[in-house]
Formats: sequence, structure tokens, C-alpha cells
Amino acid sequence: MAFVRRWVFFTLAPCAVLALAYLPPRGVTSNGKSVFVGQSQHATRARQHAQALAEEWRNADAAVRLLEDRQRVRRDVTRSSPTIVFRGATLPPRAVRNVETVMDSVWRALGLGETKVRVTLVIELQRPTGSADSPTPLQDRVAYLTPDSTDRTTCMASLPAGPYWTLVILGKRDARHEGFGRFAQWLQAGLGPCAFYAAYGTPGRPVGSWLAARNWDVGLYLGSHGIAGERFSSLDLMGNPSSPWYWDRVYAFPAATVACLAGRPSGCRAAVLAGAPEERTIPIPNVVLVERRWWRVQNLLPGERYLGDVARTVGRDRFLSFWTSGQPVDTALAAALNRPVGEWTADWERGFVRPIRLGPTPPFGAAVIAMAIAVLVLTVVAATASRRQVR
Amino acid sequence: MRAILVLLAILAMPSAMPGQQRWERQVQERVQRAIAAVGTSSRPAVVTRSGMLNTDEEASFRTTLVEHVSYAIVAVCDDDCSRLQLTLLSPSGSDIAKERNSESLPTLHFTAETTANYGIRVVMEGCRWNPCWYAIAVVPLRKLPS
Repeated sequence: MAFVRRWVFFTLAPCAVLALAYLPPRGVTSNGKSVFVGQSQHATRARQHAQALAEEWRNADAAVRLLEDRQRVRRDVTRSSPTIVFRGATLPPRAVRNVETVMDSVWRALGLGETKVRVTLVIELQRPTGSADSPTPLQDRVAYLTPDSTDRTTCMASLPAGPYWTLVILGKRDARHEGFGRFAQWLQAGLGPCAFYAAYGTPGRPVGSWLAARNWDVGLYLGSHGIAGERFSSLDLMGNPSSPWYWDRVYAFPAATVACLAGRPSGCRAAVLAGAPEERTIPIPNVVLVERRWWRVQNLLPGERYLGDVARTVGRDRFLSFWTSGQPVDTALAAALNRPVGEWTADWERGFVRPIRLGPTPPFGAAVIAMAIAVLVLTVVAATASRRQVR
Repeated sequence: MRAILVLLAILAMPSAMPGQQRWERQVQERVQRAIAAVGTSSRPAVVTRSGMLNTDEEASFRTTLVEHVSYAIVAVCDDDCSRLQLTLLSPSGSDIAKERNSESLPTLHFTAETTANYGIRVVMEGCRWNPCWYAIAVVPLRKLPS
């Protein structure tokens, strides 16, 4: 009996070892450690506190500056496209005209003309670092001030240019080599929610509340191309599915987002309607601050273009019915899509990514090797057993 | 006579102000036409207010109505507005009359029994593309014999 137990142990133990070695960590939650760590996680408590305070100050400062700009900036009534204001440096008139020309073509490409809600784009050119007694102003986050009851017809966008685009705008980099196409894409992406306000006006209360609850992650980009290139979307930022960090990135998203990536309509529905049941009061002023790494906090991938794609699919009239509807978001969206939200979204998702496989599925190669070893072990056991002689 | 009044009103219309949006001009033209259409004694003067509202938002203002004068209170809105509600409020704030059946051109007729400060409230019940512009005119028609 002890002999049989030993054989069973020696058969199963290698199988267990192989399973541990080969089965990928699917179906488990992320350990929270990511290879995409840009900042040291070992700051002291005092430093973390100081950084948090500086972050709050930057956010408040950005909101105040947007409010001041909304009051101060005089609209250019001769142009239907956004009024552009530059901060941080005085530009020569030619540089201003160049940017305005690109913006005019972006505006036309979006199919926009005279709009009820007008957009003012504040381009923050790169400044030298601030003095030691105050944090550097917000220079790397896009911020939007949406229309409210104090000004129903202005949407403000604050777009930090960073060192690269600052040089292009100032004419210190040759635009022929940098390409106005990329500059136009950058400007178009910078319009963010303001592009939706311009195209479709102020959303009704349910849609406005839903978008505020999820920080506009499904309405960051109105254009028909990718946010940073012809077909480039937030999905591309996840990397190659064969990379070891891909699954770590996948499981950093909420369960509904992952289910939607797997092509499950119920998951897609939950991912789209996240935040919809919350009846939240939209604050005044309503400043939308887009996360630095916005693609990591999406509920839907590539969520930044979701509403833009819905609008292009259903047409202006049906999209406006959804946008201004007083009905709950799921009802209004399903009516506009003329299909259940989950089904439509699952089809939309398949247009960008092949559905991922969920669950503890072993890779094919690992399964073959494990089976081969198991067959070998069983053959050896059977051969040994057949030679045994009972005396 | 009415045709002449309409013609005069159109001629007297202010030309498009620079910076005015298309929808703002639209409601200004409409309210002038409405004033001309209902006719006015022009004493006391016509009161007009305009602004913009999103769906389900409301705005109100107060105006003095003179006793024994018959008034037409007219509200107009832009092309994207589908339903506008107009309410006349007493000086104490209670509803006197409400018009919500005329979709985008609600009109109230009222003769004040006493000179007082009355309220007028407008509710944007349907706007296809927010915000929708509206304008209200309080038009004195004639003074009734006391």
C-alpha cells in the first residue's frame, strides 16, 4: 500500500509543479504591483503629504485660472472656431495665426461651424519652474471648465503644451518635420469634452450627471481617428498581448471592463453604465481635470472615443435625443442605439480588440507538455506494475 | 393697420449686433414680430426680457403692471426649443395664470386689478440643443375704463 502511495505521489507532484510553472495568473486579482511605476513608492510620509497638498493647490489654481479666463477673455466674434489664448509667453502674430489656421481646419473636420456653446482654448506654454515657496502651476494635466448657469455658452479648455509643443508653437522646431497633422491631432484631442458641448450643447441632467460621475472618460475625444494617430487609441497603450505585463494591466481594470474586453455584453453594459445610477449634483463651477495617465482609469477601452462613435453611428438627431433626454441613461442610450447597450458595445469593442480569453486556461504548449509527461509517467507505472510478480 | 404695424416693427428691428449669436437674433426678431402682431398702445411701454435656458431650467423676473390695463404676455424661443411654459405670478408669489399648451409661443392675457409688482416665470420644458434662447414681452394692449 505504501508502495502505491509513493507512486501516486511521484506522479502527481511533477504535474503540480508543471501546473504552477506554466499556468498563467489568470482569474486572480492583480497584486497591485505594476511594472509601470513612474514615481518612487518609498517617499516619506511628510513628502507624500507635501505632494498631496501641492496637488490640491495645483487643482484649485487651475480651476481659479479657468474661471478668471472665462471672465476676462474676449471672444473673437469673427471666428466660429475656438478662441485661442496663450499663457506663459508672448507669441509673434504669425505664430498665433498659424495655430488659429490649424484650429480652423480641426473645427471644420469635426463638422462644426457656429455653435451654441463656444469654446475658448487656453494653451499653457511651458514656463520655467516656479519659485521655491509655491508649487509649480499645473502644467501636465488638461482641465476643462464646462458651461454652467453663470455662463451657459462658454466651455473653457486649458491645454498644457509641454516643452515639445511649446517649441513647435514658438516656431523653434521646424513644422515641416514635426508635421502639422500631428499638431492638429494634438489640438483636436485637447478640445476634450468641450468638443461635445460645442457639437451637441449642454447635456441633460441624467447624461451630465453620468459623465461627471465618471470624469468624462467616455467623452474625451470627438474625432473619428484615434486620439493620438490614425488608429491609435488607449488600447495601444496596454502594449502587446504577448507581453508579460499585459495581463497585469488588464486586471488592474474593474471587473466589468475586463468582461467587456472578453466580449461579454453584460460586462460591456456594466462598463458603459458605471456611474449612471448615481444622482449627483453637478458642482458649480464644474472643472473636469483629466488624469495624467487617463488611459489607466477608464471603465471602457478605448473609452475616450465611445460617445463620438455612438454619435457617428446613430446620427445627429438620435444622438441629440439621447444627449438631452430626461430619461435614465440606459433607456435613452438604448433608444438612440436601437439595440441593447451591452450588445452594441460588445460589437463596438470587437472592432478594436480580439476578445480576450478569461479563466484559468493553460496555454496550448503547456497542456501538451503536461499531457506528454503524464502519459510517460503512467506508461512507466503500468510497465513496472506489469512486471511485478507476487511471490 | 396691423400690416403697417408689422412692417414698422420689422423696420425698427435692430440690425444684427456684433457678437450676437444666430439664436439670439432669432428670438429678438420673433419677439418683435409677436409684439407687432398683438398690437400695443405703447403706454405704458413694452417690457421685454431675454436669455437662455437648458432643458428643465427656469427663469423669472418681476415687472409692474398698471391697474385696469389689459396686457398680453408673450414668450418666444429659438428653433431648437419645443416647449416653453409661461406663468404669471401674483405679488405674493402664487400662480395667477399658466400657459403650457402653446408649445413654443405661449401667450397670457391679463388685466391687473391693482398696480403692483407681478412675477413672470418661464420654464424651458423642451430644448433639443441646449441652451435654448427665449424672450418675453409684456405688451400693454389698452386701458379699460375704470
